[in-house]
Amino acid sequence: MEADWRRIDIDAFDPESGRLTAADLVPPYETTVTLQELQPRMNQLRSLATSGDSLGAVQLLTTDPPYSADAPTKEQYFKSVLEALTQVRQADIGNVIKNLSDSQRDVLVKYLYKGMSVPQGQKQGGVLLAWLERITQVSGVTPIVHYISDRRTV
Amino acid sequence: MSFSNSKDKSVVAVYKLVKAPIYSHCFSQDKSILAVTCETDCLVYRVSNNTPPVLFATLKDHDKTITAVDISIHGRIVTCSQDRNAYVWEPLSDGTYKPTLVLLRINRAATSVTWAPNGYKFAVGSSARIIAVCYYEHENNWWVSKHIKKPIKSTINCLSWHANGVLLAAGGTDGFMRVFSGFIKGLDSKESVAGSPWGQKFPFGCLIREWYQGSYIHDVEWRSQMERIAYVAHDGTLNVVDYQSPVQSVNAPEGLPYRSLVWINDHEIVCGGYSCHPVLFSEASEGWKFAKNLDKSDNNKSSALTASGNADELSGNNDESSTFGISALRKFKELDLKGKVSTDVQESAHENAIVELRPFAESNGQITQVSSCGLDGKIVIYTI
Repeated sequence: MEADWRRIDIDAFDPESGRLTAADLVPPYETTVTLQELQPRMNQLRSLATSGDSLGAVQLLTTDPPYSADAPTKEQYFKSVLEALTQVRQADIGNVIKNLSDSQRDVLVKYLYKGMSVPQGQKQGGVLLAWLERITQVSGVTPIVHYISDRRTV
Repeated sequence: MSFSNSKDKSVVAVYKLVKAPIYSHCFSQDKSILAVTCETDCLVYRVSNNTPPVLFATLKDHDKTITAVDISIHGRIVTCSQDRNAYVWEPLSDGTYKPTLVLLRINRAATSVTWAPNGYKFAVGSSARIIAVCYYEHENNWWVSKHIKKPIKSTINCLSWHANGVLLAAGGTDGFMRVFSGFIKGLDSKESVAGSPWGQKFPFGCLIREWYQGSYIHDVEWRSQMERIAYVAHDGTLNVVDYQSPVQSVNAPEGLPYRSLVWINDHEIVCGGYSCHPVLFSEASEGWKFAKNLDKSDNNKSSALTASGNADELSGNNDESSTFGISALRKFKELDLKGKVSTDVQESAHENAIVELRPFAESNGQITQVSSCGLDGKIVIYTI
């Protein structure tokens, strides 16, 4: 009995108390991005990646990412991001990262961790880890700390 | 025992006081009295120059961990605790303290407490998504607590009063830094906020402004004469805001978050946190930037060694474009050959995270020394 006081539901009889829900943690976005609005961006990303402009592709995908989109849209968008990331040659990774700004590296790390959390990304785990290794060599733990604490998810 | 095990000149004194984390500490106005939290007690020390602090009172009335302590300009100590209460400790002439319980009317832990500049009211932050502003009512001989609830969504971590004693900045785990009005009728006068750039009317509990940071906010502090607020967050940033311009943000050079900050002057801030040593930031024409580390063990042999090792590995990888797996394997092999993992010994004065910084000495409006407390049970005084 004595040890159990932490398990007492102190909100049980307090209708005003209200627990924090997942929705409370969503940042206050002003608008939401739809899949339709993202389509041109995804096409552009694809064409940049296939034409071999890896820096252009990574700069595009790390600039102004669709934070406010809903989960299925983010899923769709992430597919094209992953495609673009895997098309960059290993030897180019270091160079691409060198040409990114700090905020772009933050976004890139978000996509890397996102990739590690979904099956299609886990198949490309080696590539994602190679990216992460290079980023941490350049920026240290800063982008990872940002990723952990940021509620704007990709 | 007052000693310094650091070669760095910025460390003035190190007091290893207790064997538990010190979550909060405070010096009295004349720096002769030091109060620290230690588990469920608040320990009060007498401090004089160049001698170790002498314990002279133990404030024992809380029955759960004390989370914060503050001393008013009149020498009254206020403590708040996870037991959901606050006590005001009135100093008596014989060196003891007379406790008065303050009923905060909250159902979760109290996390932070701070006296208003005039010393007649204080604010308590809590996990109950409430800020309790407490003041003394003579008629009832009782500390009254008034609540600020909306629109707080989560635990309040930190509070700071504006010098006018009305505006109250608060940061918490919902990722918002907010400015509320803590105006108490009969205690505060409207003249104190006349002409304030933050608004015209300041009824109690009114939300004046809010900023979204998105990560836990660990500490917030007003720079009243500039009408600016600085706060540190768990994403490792120091941020400075005012009533009109957008947030100015700067990253911690080591990436680890700060737990506390102190304004040194109008254009300098010192921060301390998980990197265990204070870091000075300064404002230049292009914005806020890192200025210098205090008490940091650099040119340490082992860290230089690992750094060069990394550099070798980096260039090696570029030449051979080897995959991650092979480089990881090689790393383990190298470690195996060396037969040791790391000799990187922490040489800063704090051996664990700094949780609170406070101004200690001041001359000509400039803070010259700050004190800190840490999870290692030490109080350290640094020269800026």
